[in-house]
Amino acid sequence: MEHSLFLKPRDLFMDVVNPKDYVQIDSVSHMYQSLKTSVQKPLKMILLYGRPGTGKSMLLHKLHHDLSKHQKVCMIDIPIIDEDDFLRVLAHKIYSYASREALTLTRFLELSTAVNYPVIPIVLLDEAQLYSPSLMEKIRLISDARALKFVIALHKTDNEDILAKEHFQTRIWESIELQNASHEELKIYIQKKLLKANCFDVASMINDKNIKLINKLTRGNYRDSNKLMFSLFSLYVWYEENNPRKIKYNALATKFIEMAAIHTGLIHA
Amino acid sequence: MLDISKLERRWLKYKIKKILPYTLLITTVTILGFTIPFVLSNRHSSKAMIPLKKDAIKVKAPNTENDEGAMVLEPSMHFIESMDTPSTPITNTPTSSTKPAPTPKHSIAPIASLPTPTPAIAQTQATKAPQPIVKGKLTSIKRDDTAFDIHEIEDRFKDTSNPNLGVYIAKYHYDHGNYSEAYNYALKTNSINNSIDDSWLIFAKALVKLGKEEQAKKTLQLYISNSNSQAAKNYLDTLDKGGSK
Ligand SMILES: Nc1ncnc2c1ncn2[C@@H]1O[C@H](COP(=O)(O)OP(=O)(O)OP(=O)(O)O)[C@@H](O)[C@H]1O
Ligand SMILES: [Mg+2]
Repeated sequence: MEHSLFLKPRDLFMDVVNPKDYVQIDSVSHMYQSLKTSVQKPLKMILLYGRPGTGKSMLLHKLHHDLSKHQKVCMIDIPIIDEDDFLRVLAHKIYSYASREALTLTRFLELSTAVNYPVIPIVLLDEAQLYSPSLMEKIRLISDARALKFVIALHKTDNEDILAKEHFQTRIWESIELQNASHEELKIYIQKKLLKANCFDVASMINDKNIKLINKLTRGNYRDSNKLMFSLFSLYVWYEENNPRKIKYNALATKFIEMAAIHTGLIHA
Repeated sequence: MLDISKLERRWLKYKIKKILPYTLLITTVTILGFTIPFVLSNRHSSKAMIPLKKDAIKVKAPNTENDEGAMVLEPSMHFIESMDTPSTPITNTPTSSTKPAPTPKHSIAPIASLPTPTPAIAQTQATKAPQPIVKGKLTSIKRDDTAFDIHEIEDRFKDTSNPNLGVYIAKYHYDHGNYSEAYNYALKTNSINNSIDDSWLIFAKALVKLGKEEQAKKTLQLYISNSNSQAAKNYLDTLDKGGSK
């Protein structure tokens, strides 16, 4: 088991968001660059949206990781739905102001003028579809007052057009949409992930036909692709140990990919 | 953990379900294909032969002719015409941008005698200007097709001389039709480690694509005599039989 060729590749595809595992994909890094530029502009609020699993949290974490070297950045990845809590947590994280009572917006803004940062601190909010309209309004006011700068990430779902919601209609929003990977991007994503970890043998097993199938099954969704690859390599680990003759090293087996897809629920069988 | 045997059974079920409609379709078509001509020929058996015209299949509507209202399928004879004039042969010449490598004089050419690596498409695509974000508007940034950055890996190969990387790069170039690049990298890899089947195979395949089949065979024979590689033998066999893939 320890010497398995597929053990390391398997673990690479665990569905975790760690900025250290960020894979640079051209279009995403364009977006990332524009995100970094927009963040420097005062007054603008940035909306990062896209379907589940398109890499919003990943991009947000990467931004957090990179920006925090130079300025005050605060990441709230688990939404704080309660409005009083929200201000209190921010005051604590950014202005080191501890208070047990609820903070009014005015008080919060006073704090922000009292504590003088050379650059406006940035707050990154993940899963922002969960915030109420009235909290979103507060966020907008804080941003208007140039106290903080917000980058928010939210899902786009089929049955609800969040962008149509009133508070995102105003001109202050700069929106960036993340999309599913194309065939080429998925290939880059998978290959880079493997190569970064020196899994050359496994990387060279993956051909275009394999990617085509994976892309067809996952529709270019990064999370689904991770899940699929994870169970695919789990299968390989198993066969390597129990039935190595079934493994062909010149390409990934369509059968195994399909079995992994059945296991992850991408194929209903 | 994974329940492999259950998963294999589910897969089999899935496969059968997926293939079933096609199999049914194909069987019906074959059955029809056999029965229709049979029925037709029975009906026309007393009449004269259906004249063979050089037209495409014509389906005559029933009752428009003084026939018995049967459909008359007239076979097209176009294929015979096309057999007369030899069609252009399918060539296996290397695609576009690759410059063929000069014939190596010895069994294995030194790297220096090969053309300098042609820059891959990767670079030109990668230098596309980033799409700007328009202020105050919804900018939906479309992901354009990105070229895979093989140069990064090539640089690492240069630094590390890791033969696995070399094989990877050689394969990459071969798959992208850059056969001289594939040749180059396989050659370099072989010089680092001369017992990697894949590398020798790519090397030979690239030679074939570059029109140096004899050279490829010689190389394979040489390699087989040193390694007894089954994969190399198989490929040599296909080459001897005239297949070049
Ligand atoms: N550029 C990338 N580099 C490395 N991994 C990535 C990248 N983009 C996405 N991923 C991986 O894809 C998976 C899904 O990404 P992520 O969690 O960021 O999606 P999301 O858009 O936030 O989804 P949700 O809307 O469900 O929160 C994660 O496991 C993440 O590690
Ligand atoms: Mg997320």
